[in-house]
Parts: sequence; structure tokens; C-alpha cells
Amino acid sequence: MTVTEDRPTYKWVGTRPIRHDGYDKVVGKARFAADLNLPGQLHGAILRSPHGHARILSIDTSVAEAMPGVRAVLTAADFPTLEMGNPERDVAINLMARDVVLYVGHALAAVAASTRAEAEAAAAAIEVEYELLPVVLSLDESLADGAPLANEDNRTAFSGSDDPSNLATVTPLERGDVEAAFEAADLIVEREFETSWVHQGYIEPHACVVDVGADGKADIWASSQGHFRVRAQTAAVLGWDTARIKVTPAEIGGGFGGKTTIYLEPVAARLSEKSGRPVKIVMSRDEVLRATGPAPASKSRIRIAATSDGELTAIDGWIGYAVGCTNDMAGFIGAMSVASYKFPNLKLEAVAALTNTPKSAAYRAPSAPQAAFAIESVIDEIAQGLGLDPIDVRLKNAVTEGDPTAMGSPHPRIGFVECLEAIRDSDHYRSPVAEGTARGVGSGFWFNIGEQSSATVNLNEDGTATVITGSPDIGGSRASMALMAAEELGIDVHQITPVVADTESVGFTDVTEGSRATFATGMAVVNACRELIDELKARAATILGVDAEAVDWLDGEAIADGKEPLSLAAITAKAKSTGGPLTVTASLNAGGAGPSFAVHCCDVAVDEETGQVTVLRYTTAQDAGTAIHPSYVEGQMQGGTAQGIGWALNEEYVYDDDGTMLNASFLDYRVPVASDLPMIETIIVEVPNPAHPYGVRGVGETGIVPPMATIANAVSAATSVRMTALPMSPPAILAALGER
Amino acid sequence: MSKRSRTHVTCTVNGDEVDFLASDDTSLLDALRDELGLTGAKEGCGTGDCGACSVLVDGRVNCSCLMFAPEAEGTDIVTVEGIAEGDQLHPLQQTFLEGAALQCGICTPGFLVSAKALLDENPDPTETEIRYALAGNLCRCTGYDKIVRSVQEAAVQLRGAAR
Amino acid sequence: MPRAHLMTPLRRFTDGEGVIEVEGATVGAMIVELDRRYPGLGEMLTKGASAAVDGLIHAEPEYLAVDPDTDVYFVAPLTGG
Repeated sequence: MTVTEDRPTYKWVGTRPIRHDGYDKVVGKARFAADLNLPGQLHGAILRSPHGHARILSIDTSVAEAMPGVRAVLTAADFPTLEMGNPERDVAINLMARDVVLYVGHALAAVAASTRAEAEAAAAAIEVEYELLPVVLSLDESLADGAPLANEDNRTAFSGSDDPSNLATVTPLERGDVEAAFEAADLIVEREFETSWVHQGYIEPHACVVDVGADGKADIWASSQGHFRVRAQTAAVLGWDTARIKVTPAEIGGGFGGKTTIYLEPVAARLSEKSGRPVKIVMSRDEVLRATGPAPASKSRIRIAATSDGELTAIDGWIGYAVGCTNDMAGFIGAMSVASYKFPNLKLEAVAALTNTPKSAAYRAPSAPQAAFAIESVIDEIAQGLGLDPIDVRLKNAVTEGDPTAMGSPHPRIGFVECLEAIRDSDHYRSPVAEGTARGVGSGFWFNIGEQSSATVNLNEDGTATVITGSPDIGGSRASMALMAAEELGIDVHQITPVVADTESVGFTDVTEGSRATFATGMAVVNACRELIDELKARAATILGVDAEAVDWLDGEAIADGKEPLSLAAITAKAKSTGGPLTVTASLNAGGAGPSFAVHCCDVAVDEETGQVTVLRYTTAQDAGTAIHPSYVEGQMQGGTAQGIGWALNEEYVYDDDGTMLNASFLDYRVPVASDLPMIETIIVEVPNPAHPYGVRGVGETGIVPPMATIANAVSAATSVRMTALPMSPPAILAALGER
Repeated sequence: MSKRSRTHVTCTVNGDEVDFLASDDTSLLDALRDELGLTGAKEGCGTGDCGACSVLVDGRVNCSCLMFAPEAEGTDIVTVEGIAEGDQLHPLQQTFLEGAALQCGICTPGFLVSAKALLDENPDPTETEIRYALAGNLCRCTGYDKIVRSVQEAAVQLRGAAR
Repeated sequence: MPRAHLMTPLRRFTDGEGVIEVEGATVGAMIVELDRRYPGLGEMLTKGASAAVDGLIHAEPEYLAVDPDTDVYFVAPLTGG
């Protein structure tokens, strides 16, 4: 761990207690959505389109309805039509096609029956008449002159135009004078890059159990990163009041952004309503890969100008994202992720275009990895061309506080330089590169978000505490909430029970995404604790017979001159007589989320006979602000890295000409396994975020941004071949070596 | 409406003699989860590629999604629910907790079963041997680093206890 | 007077101007004034923008108070995964 600044000595923050929910998870008791069963439940199955783009001429469910065990069948006709402009229209259409199917795997009908097999058999018996439409399967096809429309309903966002288009967004960004800078450059490198669609790859398929009672209220258990959004989106798709819906977050088996939207809950709810029985729907892995959102495929052209001493004076380029069947903000966000270097002159256009493939969903730092792959590769090539150390080139140009982001707004306090120095000074980087291996570095960051959170802190009669939040725990955040509460209240973290509560039992809380939970929900927890401490001091004053202003709070005790300290437990024991229960709820719309930068370094060996790239050693340095629970910060760094390695070396979507995914299983969609990877060394850099009481920066997403370029740069060093297309799978490496 | 005929299966699960009914095409995984209520083993893929459904059958690691439930007749099955001894966690479970070897926890039951099978057979595995023994279990959260370290630590503890 | 900084796609409303001085005690008031001067811009800013002020990004900044020397950068809303 690298501590960058003088920081307070904490008693609990920064320690590594066993996470409270861990025990249930190691004995098989933890309940994920598919583990829940309700008496009388039916199983749902979804009919999915075999065509990549087609008009639905008719759907005949009569045969299905009469089949054994079937209790309900539905189509889009069972949902209200959401008008153009309704923010949930795309989500609604994606989870149940209306009039047009937009990709192979697009849902268009659903069945609830006594067993899953009966439901699937009935779904297969639904008769659909299609009129085939042209299929658009790549960015190039989508952007070509005269290209057929992938989705006739799409309009280009912020354009003011009502013409149907394949363009989702167009984001130009400009500052300075790039042409002058390129004229004056000592070295210019220009490259084109390409990446494939990749899936978040969570091991737990989407699942939910929905029980609509005779009162018309829906009880939903869902695998989700944000149950308040499940409630809101389900309400919007069904046309129901929010008050009719309760969502309980089950334990979630991975999300990474892919579970920040919904696919199943409204379908299960309508089936439950129609049948009068609870309905459980669990996706198969095949469905997950064919029909849930991957990260967009991309193409880019990046040109960077440099002076001979390594100053990067200009960047000019274009990046396009193939975002699937409905409008998506990938282009905007991708453009804005260009913000690690000062680039006084900048001209970029980021474009997102539609294809007849599944609607994209967020995947850890969405859109940034594709952009970073390109930019970090070109910078590496510049360093090679100038004969400069790649870390030195980055140090020379790294943004610091006050430097502009791509949007123009100034960066707040950030730790990019500190991360670069941490890698430069690391054991890994200082060790000689072993014979037959080669080294690469890369960097990346994510802005992180704040958004809304609520927290309730209850002090129990015996001085223990319950901390209730609404942030589904996808990486250990419950433990972090308990640690921050322990630090504030001055009691042992093991005397605190952190709980993630349902939508009826905690105040509104935004989705666990954007690396916001420890930051924003943590802030709500801290605020609730501080308000509670004010109340505890007032109660202590009553007990001690002094004025409230005379009481201080220190290490879990109320202190007043001339009086014996009162422990928290001594005060809670007298809660009733001093005013009643001790409970506080705090809520906020958190501003000031601090960006988290990371720098990665890897050593690889390339087998020139097989094309296999072996990652031999990997080190990551990332700015966490303050690591509340260092083990789980390290976990985020390592997990993001492993996903990036998969993105770099093996993962891709293979489609046939009709838009059918050919590798829709974990056998052929190859994610890293334990034998693919070395230990992943972590260096936690701490440049505290001034906007958070403990200096926290979200860390969940940044880790996936650097690895692709880091590995491509190492492969370049090993082979003198610049890999510009992902994945760098053995056939791709062999082909590139063949052209060397 | 007739139900397909179901086979009566008797076997031992986590030391208990149990019995249940299963169709010929019910997987052992579905029988464990739906007939016996043992939901520790998970379905991550249904095709034997992710290992989340791993259980021990007569001491060997099996993807329970690939076994038909009637094949379990007369076998001795251990699931994650049977790894602890009463209220004593197995060293692997303890080191996984202390070593933060789980984040979302969905893959954890499968890893514990596979790792237990490894250490039962090879009490002093190298890092490479651990990685290859666990290569059939996918984890998307951790990058495997802390899982491997936790297995190493559990191996040390088990060797110490065995002396 | 506070300054509004507009990202490039929105400058089509302002004849290419990217930095505009506009009266207002809050970001919301600035947006109302911007819409008065450049009809249609208000809806773009309300529906599709967060505001970056002093390096910090605020989602739904309608009631965020600004000083006479504040620079408000209207940026696309950020999410994450």
C-alpha cells in the first residue's frame, strides 16, 4: 500500500474484518434469486426471435395456451405502449418486442407453466409469422451510405432531427488548434483499432421471483444492482404506480453493470397477475449471452502529435461504438473518457451507431476501455519512436488538479501522477525484463458518480448497531459501511450489522453503479452516524446532568468535564428514559465523486508457434482515495484486471451472417480461468478525495480500462508487431506475426 | 394430465441418507436444489463449463448439471453444505473468509468443493497445481488471486493440523 | 456574471459560442435565461446534462447556487457499470 498524504490514524477504516455476509456465502446459505421458491410458483420461459430483424406479422398463442401445465401466456399486447420520448421505452421494447424483432434472441412472448420444461415446450409451440428485414451487424454496415435501418424508431440524440437513423449519438469535442500542432510535431503516430462485443460474464444468470397478490401488489425478488431502479422500470413498463411494487434485492452473483437494467421482472409480474400464482424466471446461460447487453464493439482512428522530448501536443481522432438495437450514450461517455493527458490541442468525434444485436448494457467503466486501448497503444508507440520510457512520457503529460477534462471542466484533486510513480518505483517495474519475456504499461481512469443514497442507523438496546442501506452489495460494500459506522460511533465493527434492505424498508437509493456505493452510500451512513452522535451527546447530557454543549464524543464515549465517561451502551440502555429510540435516517444527492486513476504493468511471453500470449506477471496501482476495506479494494482492482485480460486475449462475439451468435456458451466465449493468470499484485495509492469524509474514491470500474493496451504494448515489445484488433487470440497473433 | 414416471433415488448427501423422486432427464443439480432444498450448488451455465454446480460424488468432483439425478443412486455426495463439521468451518471456508476470496459469492460453493477435493488428494500443491485443479471453476469477480492464496493458506493449516 | 460552458453538440443553438455569460443565482435560473436567449437549449440542458462546478459533477443541478464568478460546465450525464 502506498500512503500518499498524511492521513488520520483510523481505528477501523483501513482494517480487514471478515465481511458480515461472508459466512452465509461459504456454507451455501446465501440466497440468490434463483435459490428462492414460493409455494405454488410457476416457471416462466421466454420465446426469443430466431431472426436478426423482422416485422412480427402475427403471433398465435392458442396452441401454447392449451398445453399441459400452462397457466398464462403473454406478448407485448399485455403491456401498455410507451410513447416515443418515454425514457423507459427502449427498455420495454427490449424485454418484449413490439411489432418488430431487432436481434436474434429478442424476446417476443412468454409462458408460465408448472415446470420449466412445460413452459419451454409451450413457448416453442407459439406460432409467429415474420416478414424478414435487412440485418445490420457491424459498425461499418451501420454507418455505410444507404445502410438499411437497424431500428426504424431510432432518432439521433440531441440532433433535433426526427429522421430515422442508425446514428445514436454524435459527439464532437474540440479545443486548441490541432492542425498547427501536427504541423509542428516531431513525431506523429496514427493507428486504427478495432474491438469486439464482450459480455460482462457474471456467473449468475438473471433471475427473479415475482408474486402478484390479489390486491394487485407485486412482491419481487431480483438479482439486481439496483432494486429501486427495478421498481421504477417495472412500474413504467407495466404502467403501474410505484406503490404497487416492492423489490427485495437477493444476493447478486455478479453484475459489473450488466444488471443495472431489467429483462424479466415485468414479464414475470404480468404472468403472475394473469395466472394468480407466483412466477419464477431464470435465464439460461445461452439466453444471457444471446439476449443481454454486452459492451459495444468499437472501431477507432487515433492520431497523436509529439515533440522530441515527449510532450503530447495534440490528439485527433474518431471512435465509433456499435451499441446494439436501441439508442445508447456510449459515444458521449467514450469521448469524455479521453481525459488522462493534458492534450492542449484536441479534436475528437465519438459516434454510436445501431446494429441488430442485443441492446448494450454497461460494463465497468462503459466506453472507456475501447478508447483507452487505442490511446494508450498510440502513446506507447510514440514512446518507442522517441526512445523514451513509457512511464516518463505519461508523467510528462499527465493531468493534475485543474487540468481540463475532454469536456472542458477542470479535474478536481486526482492521483494519476501518484499512480505512475507507484508503478515506476515498484518492484515489478524495477526488476529486469526476463529473457523471452516483454513488458508493457498502460493507464486508465473512471470519473465515478455520486447520486442519491439513504441510510438508517439504529442503535440497539445493548449498544450494538444496525446500519441499513439500499445499495446492493456487489463487492464488499456492506463491510465498508460497517467500518465507516464503527469509526464514527467508536464501537467495534463486529457489533455493527450492515443490512441491504428492500424498497419499503429504506429510503430511495440509486443503483450500485458508477463505483458509487462506498462513496455516496458511505456518506449517507457517516451523516446518519454524526446526527446520531449529536443525539447521543444530548442524551448523555440528560443522564449526566450537564448542558449538551458540555459533552464531547470520543472513541465511543460521551465525555464531560468532571464526569465519568458514558459508553454508547450505557446511553442506549437509557434510551427509553431519555427520549425514546435512537435511530437516524440520512439521505443525500452526493456530489463530488472523485475520479480514480490506475496504471498497470505486465510481463508477457508470446509463443510464436502457437500465437499464445501468457501473462507472467501483472501489477496494478490504483488511487482509492482512502481504502476503507483494503481487501475489497484489492479485489476490485484484481477483478477488473482479469476481465480486461479476457477482453484483451480471448473474448469476442462471433456472429453468422444472419445475426446468430455462434459462441453463446462459456466453452466458446472464453473468459479467463485460474490457470490463465498469475497473481495480480496490487498497490493501493491513496490521494484522498476532499469531498468525502474519509476521502473515498470509487474503485470498482477503473481496473478494466488499462489492461488491453497494457498487454498489447507488451506484445508489441515482444514481437515488434503492433496489435490493433482485439482479442489478441492465438489466430490473430499468428496472422499478425505472419505479416511481420 | 399424466406426469412422466419418476425414479426413486436413494443416496447419501452430506452424511445423511436421503431419497427423492427424479425424472430421467432431471439433473443432479436440479434434484439437489429443488427436491432436497440444497441450493448451495448453483447453475451458472448448465453445460459443465463454469463449475458453479460442482459437488463431490464418491470423492470425485463432478459438474452436477451434467449428471442425471438417477445416476446418483447409491452414491456418496458432498455439497458445500456438508464441508463444515457441525459448527466448525473447514479451514478452506475460514481462509476464504479471512483472505477475501469471495466477492459476490456465487462461485464460492463450487470452488470450495473443488479445492477440498484437491487438498484431500494433494495436501501440498504448488501454485500451478492449484490453478490447474481449479481451472474448471470460473470466477468473474476476483481474478483468482485471493482464491489461490486462500487455498495455499488452508493447505498450510491442514498440514499443520495433520502433524 | 456566471459563465455557462457548452459542450460542442449544443453550440448549434448558440451560433457556435461555447462560453456564455448568463445571469442567474442557480444553475436552473441560468438554464431558464439560456433558453430565453436560445430557444430549445433549455430542454437539452434539463433533460440531458449534469453540471460540473469547481471540478465536481452534480446530477440534476437545477437548484445548485452559483456565484458571479462561477464557471458551470454542462456535461453529458455520467453513469457507470
